[in-house]
Amino acid sequence: MGKADRISGLFWLLFGIIITIESHRLGLGTVHSPGPGFLFFYAGIFVSLMALIILVRAWGMRRGEETGETLFAGRNIRKLVYVLISVFLYAILMEWLGFLLVTLLLFVVILAVIEKKRWPVAVLTSIAVTGIAYLVFQTALKSQLPKGPFGF
Amino acid sequence: MHVMHNMLFGFQVALQPVNLLYCLMGTLIGTMVGVLPGLGPAAAIALLLPTTFQASPVSATIMLAGIYYGAMYGGSTTSILVNIPGEAASVVTCLDGYQMALKGRAGPALGIAAFGSFIAGTFGVVALSVTGPILSGVALKFGPPEYFSMMIVGITVLTYLSSGSMVKALLMAATGLILGGVGVDTISGKYRFTYGIEVLTDGLGLVPVVMGLFGIAEVLENLEKEIKRDILSAHIDHLLPNLQDWKDSSGPIARGTILGFFLGLVPGGGAIIASFASYAMEKKLAKHPEEFGHGAIQGVAGPESANNSAASGNFIPLLTLGIPCNAVMAILLGALMIHGLQPGPLLMTRAPDLFWGTIVSMYIGNVMLLVLNLPLIGLWVKVLKIPYYLLYPLILLFCLIGSYSLNNNAAEVVIMLIFGVVGYLMRKFRYDGAPLILALVLGPMLEEAFRQSLMLSKGDFSIFVSRPLSLAFLITAVLLLVIPVVTQRKKLSTLEEE
Repeated sequence: MGKADRISGLFWLLFGIIITIESHRLGLGTVHSPGPGFLFFYAGIFVSLMALIILVRAWGMRRGEETGETLFAGRNIRKLVYVLISVFLYAILMEWLGFLLVTLLLFVVILAVIEKKRWPVAVLTSIAVTGIAYLVFQTALKSQLPKGPFGF
Repeated sequence: MHVMHNMLFGFQVALQPVNLLYCLMGTLIGTMVGVLPGLGPAAAIALLLPTTFQASPVSATIMLAGIYYGAMYGGSTTSILVNIPGEAASVVTCLDGYQMALKGRAGPALGIAAFGSFIAGTFGVVALSVTGPILSGVALKFGPPEYFSMMIVGITVLTYLSSGSMVKALLMAATGLILGGVGVDTISGKYRFTYGIEVLTDGLGLVPVVMGLFGIAEVLENLEKEIKRDILSAHIDHLLPNLQDWKDSSGPIARGTILGFFLGLVPGGGAIIASFASYAMEKKLAKHPEEFGHGAIQGVAGPESANNSAASGNFIPLLTLGIPCNAVMAILLGALMIHGLQPGPLLMTRAPDLFWGTIVSMYIGNVMLLVLNLPLIGLWVKVLKIPYYLLYPLILLFCLIGSYSLNNNAAEVVIMLIFGVVGYLMRKFRYDGAPLILALVLGPMLEEAFRQSLMLSKGDFSIFVSRPLSLAFLITAVLLLVIPVVTQRKKLSTLEEE
């Protein structure tokens, strides 16, 4: 875990330092009446300290001990990125397009484009899933799903 | 006498048709979640939390609790049939359960897992109803300093027992504490870490964070791995274990039950650790330890009992002290708070219907699981055959709808997705999410107790060490931090990798 720990350690060190500075800005108050940043100032310092330990350990590891593993070697990493982009777009578009349309789109994209199923199968499955989800959440559970510009 | 009276009251609550229905739904959903790899009880409870808003707090808690112990049942099914643990507490069941299945003894393996779970779950519930009131009585005498110190112990124990590096676990806990501070500071009225982002002013919601860290992250991780599943196609019959099986299993079930219950009581302990500990113990005690790993029924009976009684034991710190001892209980705590209830020693007197109703419902739920699950195993095997390319978009959709319908706010969906990415990276870089969730829930309570204590003592820090109970808690916490450094503890994660 040498390389991975060096990367994550650096991230947490930065995170800890930022929190410490920001908490200081919020105001520490006094010991007698702790301010809004009091606890987080020390939490930030603690995070930085832990990150330093991780970094020191990772650097202390001899090269030979490192396994040759690469972190994102999976050949499915591209699929993962596509799925992520789709769901982020879902979140952004859901209040514009409405639940039905955006859900249908998401499933068609995942099944037909990302999973490369045949189009008729993908579209029919998507319609079924969207319909059932609507019935379960909107009709039965009375969730307030977003409506699109077309009234659905 | 008092206990009997309370139990009767509990039965009155739990046997109401609507509560029975919620109990049934909870246990069924729980079993399904346990069966499905790639969706754990923590994510499932977070997912289904928004759907309980229509229900009364009692019904909601009964269902959410059902999901948790139901998942313990379901997890064993996949471990035995597919050699993939449906959830983490069933990892050890794979070792001997799958071997039994390969030898054509899938039926007895499933059977003994179900009976062991039932016996252990029942014991756990009875013990819970006896010890609960006693603990609540003690906790009523707690002031803010005791609460503060006790929460510190809770977080320390969880980091001590969490998988992987302790330094990383502590770092996660501190991060959770910081994330819990996002939003308006109740004492000064100042905004903390919000940076003008509107959705953050009320703080980071527990549900989006949990769904992200446990639901979305799990999907992303599985997408990369592309799980392969070979389902045992052999016909499953003879679910009832024979006399010899019972003889071999009665000891492991009894020991697993008691061990699991006590491990469940400890904050940070829980079903996963209980199952590993029970397996290790049975292997040591066995007359033929060489059979372990080759289909020894003891290796199924012990851990399966232990994880179920641990699941019951987990409820004790939550219901009596208001301290969640693992990620699932932290979410349940959040759920109770969303329903307007403050878990803690006062819960029993303020909401006796919830306290006793939930406990008794767990007893009824265990019966339901036993009666329903053995005949339903065929159905669960079918559920297992749902291809992953269909399953993962469904899990994603559940997360998307769930995080949106919490407050009808698309910004919370984005927060969930961001935590999904964070959670995925945490898995890659070997950081455990459980301490983060626990600290996120406890953070605001911890800060309040801390500040109240200092107000009580007029700024004198000695208040935490001058009160004997508080001092005892803090000493425990320090010992837990120091012992592993001194003894170079053997990590639980190494046991897992073996």
